[in-house]
Amino acid sequence: MRRAPSVILIVAAVVALGLVPVLAPPFYANLLVPFYGYAIALLGFNLLFGYGGLLSFGHAMFLGLGAYGAAVIAGVWGIKEFEIVLIGAALAGLVVALPLGWLVVRYTGIFFGMLTLAFGMLTHSVLFKFYHLTGGDSGMRVPRMRLLGLEFAAYNKIELMAGPFYYYCLALMLIAAFLMWRIVHSPFGLHLRSLRDNAQKALYLGVRVHQFRLAAFVISAIYGAIGGAILGFRTGLADPELVYWTHSGHLVFMTVLGGFSSFLGPIIGALALTLLQDQLQSYTQYWRFVLGAILALVVIFLPRGLAGLAADVGSFLSSPRRRPGPVQLPEHSQPGVLGPGLRRDDVA
Amino acid sequence: MKLSRRTVLKSIAATGAAATSPGVFAPAIAQAKPCRLGILAPRTGIAASPGISGLRATEWAVERFNAGGGIAGRKIELVIEEETSPKDTIERFQKLVQQDKVDCVLGIISTGVALALGPVVEESRALTIFWDGTTQDGVEEKLPNARYLFKSTDNECEAVMSSLLAIKHWKGQFKRIAGINPDYSYGRNNMAAFIALLKRFNIEHEVVTEQWPKVGTMELTSNVAALKAAKPDLIFSSLLFADLPVFMKQAAAAELTKGIKLVFPAAGFQHTLMKKDFTPEGMLFGHNTLYFDNPNATPMAKEFVAWYADKQKDYPNWEADRAYFALASYKAAVEAAAKAKGSAWPSNDDVIDAMVGLSVESLGGKGSWRKDHIADQTFVQGFSTHNNKYDFVTLDPARIETMYSADLQKPAGANFWEWLKTAQFKI
Repeated sequence: MRRAPSVILIVAAVVALGLVPVLAPPFYANLLVPFYGYAIALLGFNLLFGYGGLLSFGHAMFLGLGAYGAAVIAGVWGIKEFEIVLIGAALAGLVVALPLGWLVVRYTGIFFGMLTLAFGMLTHSVLFKFYHLTGGDSGMRVPRMRLLGLEFAAYNKIELMAGPFYYYCLALMLIAAFLMWRIVHSPFGLHLRSLRDNAQKALYLGVRVHQFRLAAFVISAIYGAIGGAILGFRTGLADPELVYWTHSGHLVFMTVLGGFSSFLGPIIGALALTLLQDQLQSYTQYWRFVLGAILALVVIFLPRGLAGLAADVGSFLSSPRRRPGPVQLPEHSQPGVLGPGLRRDDVA
Repeated sequence: MKLSRRTVLKSIAATGAAATSPGVFAPAIAQAKPCRLGILAPRTGIAASPGISGLRATEWAVERFNAGGGIAGRKIELVIEEETSPKDTIERFQKLVQQDKVDCVLGIISTGVALALGPVVEESRALTIFWDGTTQDGVEEKLPNARYLFKSTDNECEAVMSSLLAIKHWKGQFKRIAGINPDYSYGRNNMAAFIALLKRFNIEHEVVTEQWPKVGTMELTSNVAALKAAKPDLIFSSLLFADLPVFMKQAAAAELTKGIKLVFPAAGFQHTLMKKDFTPEGMLFGHNTLYFDNPNATPMAKEFVAWYADKQKDYPNWEADRAYFALASYKAAVEAAAKAKGSAWPSNDDVIDAMVGLSVESLGGKGSWRKDHIADQTFVQGFSTHNNKYDFVTLDPARIETMYSADLQKPAGANFWEWLKTAQFKI
């Protein structure tokens, strides 16, 4: 019964998103296409971070992999079916994440973060330096593709993005979210959370620590590559900046802003940051400064992000006679715990 | 006031007659609506300095044009958005076109961004004039048949000019050459163009080292050490962002710049930071399409530089010229098209047709538009001197060289490397 209001809110949000191309100016439908790419990537990122306690600082490499995968499949090989591009991008994510994950999931906390950062920068260097293969700093063009076999020839690219591709991405995000919901609520998800909360105890109970973390890493990579393919199609370009560490930081920012302790938090964060950045860029050239200040304020005052704030407001409104007690912080935001999977003891 | 039925009817009739009279209300409405121009320029990061220089020139030009009646009678109103990554800049562009409904978009410095934005411009059918961006992947044109997009001169123009000047003035005075260039297509193509021209003119040379620091790298001592160890007679460098003055300081401290020839085609991007303390005299120094202290400048350019120095306490770099050229071209094209249509505001297609072949006197000299929508502009380079009133180097007035880009960039559809082998250069 307690879930009913949440379900109603989610349905209302989906309906609202579905009405954007109809009711809002076309600019906003265009603006939200990258949001869907990020939302899908962050669903995977949060499986690793929020549920697995592993904070990757190099996750943008998988988005880059998806975008470059789209450039190769559609641009170089000439296969312009977006569904095949998505499958190809997911396979590329899988192939790269398997050996990489095998190595990095043996580490946690700062070591995991640094290793993923290192591999991310290594990927950036490869994309940047191998001019003849990757186009170097100019990147690779991602051509227009067919959706479900349909050309949509009557639409120019902006109309395609604000119409058919918008709904395509909305549907993709809903499917990705549904699958992720099943994953995190499966025994696998439970195992993953147990590893996040106390890996040693889980190990004693027979949980295969590395295998579960590797599976989470691979799934998150596949989600990242799919998100990257959407971004590549939207921009028409796969460039090395997609893989740069600042882009990985962008993913972390969105997740923290939305709230990594909630399933929908990263999606909310992606939407909030997309809209916030659009407004700030129009008002001030110091928009990065404002974003930095907002991140600091969120970390200090809203450790559970916008999703946590919404939950608190919801519980306050549903019990008007009771003032909410002290906010129960997630385990990893309590004193003595530096972050998911990283205790003060780990760095002492 | 007493109103009778007759008075009211007379008033209504008079108003109706006035409203239906041609040339009374319609043009007044059209002219009352400002001409909105969208500007996309970097204001932060390593490209902030040229971006801000371009923005200031745009503001100066708008003030000047509005004082003279605007564009074809419509006052200019600017909507400024920031140029950042390709993805974000495309979003800003779409906002300008779809949300702000601007008449024309001007700006863009990074060719990386321009490459991604070019197809979007064409899809949007929104007239756009790039300040400094091309749609060339390296030296290969990716949008050869652009209709709505007008692009800047080739990025390699300044390197071709510097190479020709180095050959003209220093032939026989160097053999061992070294390069330190930014590690992206611009830097690599410039160095390759220099070497190709040395071969073309049968200049005996040996490349002793090539250094490729990433753009914006501020610690260049290892590159300086490698250059020093290679003992070159000449260093060719296309460094142009904040890393350029840092390199010069570190090179001067290591005594690398003493007694060797320096060819820096794009040093003018940072000209006020090229202090006399560490920038030697006699280096070949490129100012691209605007040299602020040019004794041969037009009165308009001198007025602009004086305004810039007075208001901004600074001196403009070439991006100011690119920005002015883009805006002045748009104004001239609109007014030419409007004149042809009997003063009505022209359509985008009319303006585009009027742009092709149009010539404008820009801040740095003459500029014009080719049939393939690529600009031709006047380039200025020369040899550095300390003999001036500033704390940074300027060009020796007796050794300033000017070339029009028709002699520096490949013709429409040509292959750059093949063109270098066969072009008739006027040295």
